[in-house]
Amino acid sequence: MSKYFTSIAMLLFAAGAISQRKPIDLQSKDTVANKQEYGLRIGVDISRPVLSFADEDYTGFEIVGDYRINESLWLAAELGNEERSRIENLSNIDIYDFTTSGSYLKLGADYNTYQNWYGMSNSITLGGRYAIASFSQTLNEYRIFDSNRYFNPDGFIVGSTEAEEFSSLNATWLELVIGLKAELFSNIYVGMSIRLGHLITNTEEDRFPNLWIPGFNKVTDNSKWGVGYNYSISYFIPFYKRAKKKRETLENQE
Amino acid sequence: MQFMNKIIPVLFLALAICYLSSCEKDDICVDSDTPLLVIGFFDVEDTLVSKNVSLLRVRALGFDTSPDTFTDRSNSLDSIGIPLQIDTTSTSYVFITDSEDDDEGNETGNIDTLSFDYVLQEVFVSRACGFVGNFEGLTETLQTDSDNWIQNIQIVTPNIENSGSIHVKIFH
Repeated sequence: MSKYFTSIAMLLFAAGAISQRKPIDLQSKDTVANKQEYGLRIGVDISRPVLSFADEDYTGFEIVGDYRINESLWLAAELGNEERSRIENLSNIDIYDFTTSGSYLKLGADYNTYQNWYGMSNSITLGGRYAIASFSQTLNEYRIFDSNRYFNPDGFIVGSTEAEEFSSLNATWLELVIGLKAELFSNIYVGMSIRLGHLITNTEEDRFPNLWIPGFNKVTDNSKWGVGYNYSISYFIPFYKRAKKKRETLENQE
Repeated sequence: MQFMNKIIPVLFLALAICYLSSCEKDDICVDSDTPLLVIGFFDVEDTLVSKNVSLLRVRALGFDTSPDTFTDRSNSLDSIGIPLQIDTTSTSYVFITDSEDDDEGNETGNIDTLSFDYVLQEVFVSRACGFVGNFEGLTETLQTDSDNWIQNIQIVTPNIENSGSIHVKIFH
């Protein structure tokens, strides 16, 4: 074999010389297309189960999902169920105690404002949701607030200790969502979002207003604004790949 | 690193929203209370003119103390606010004029007994205050005796929702 080595080497030099005949294209096109994955990302909120475990007055879960429709737009949805109890007190006397329980659905879209480096797919999103909730509120017990201690020197008179349920309540609201998602491992994403809600409709009983709405959180007196959040972990199911559009029109003008 | 630089402002914004939302103005109960029954004293001859009762003492029937909402045995009151019982539908008060004790501690003034009947309405006023009682359909009954100092009674506001104005006028 070794005696042919020099001959083979010479032959290879010749091959090199042949290939050099083709003129060098200094402006060759980048043929590696930046193919981006499209698909469905589904996951769960992790803060709600943690809170359910830590806080005996709360149970809840939320399923999150989003579907990529173009370069930077994702259709997004959240579906959840929450139950929460609260005791309100005044001057260290419990004045009423209520439980809110129900489900919600939020539908909308997220717009990714973050330009990823090649191969990465993190996102910082600005989005909106239209949300509906259907729930019931139970007034477990209450006292009647009266600051005058003449007839009842020891405290407030008990109004009722029998649970009174206000059912088929519902509310709709719009949400502004600021979120971020990072790809932790391949196709596994962690995300968080903060939400500012504005109530559109809120059907409530005159006797006992809606003080808390599943998915919307606390309803403040004389205000339509509410604040929420989630921390999600989700799995991306790729459906297909599509090349990232190049900004050709811009380049041609230059 | 580039991603982190973008995340930081978002986190700040998130914190700012959390902070703002925790400044809840409705956590203090200041705006409402179960109202007092406000009684005004007027001149029976000229019913538009208020007239002070001399040495007025007002107590719930069977009570040894007066409500702390006005000065006991005062000469200068033309109106008082008295609490009503919220666990029953009737409250009786004794109205004493020229109230004084004799040597043995007995009341020497003119005692008139007045009962108020009403229907209690429980009203949810706000998150911080919860429920308060309002009184509706107020009526009064004056026990007649040989010498009533109260000549006439007029109910101005039968539905009592606040303590800001006179509900009942007593003419004497």
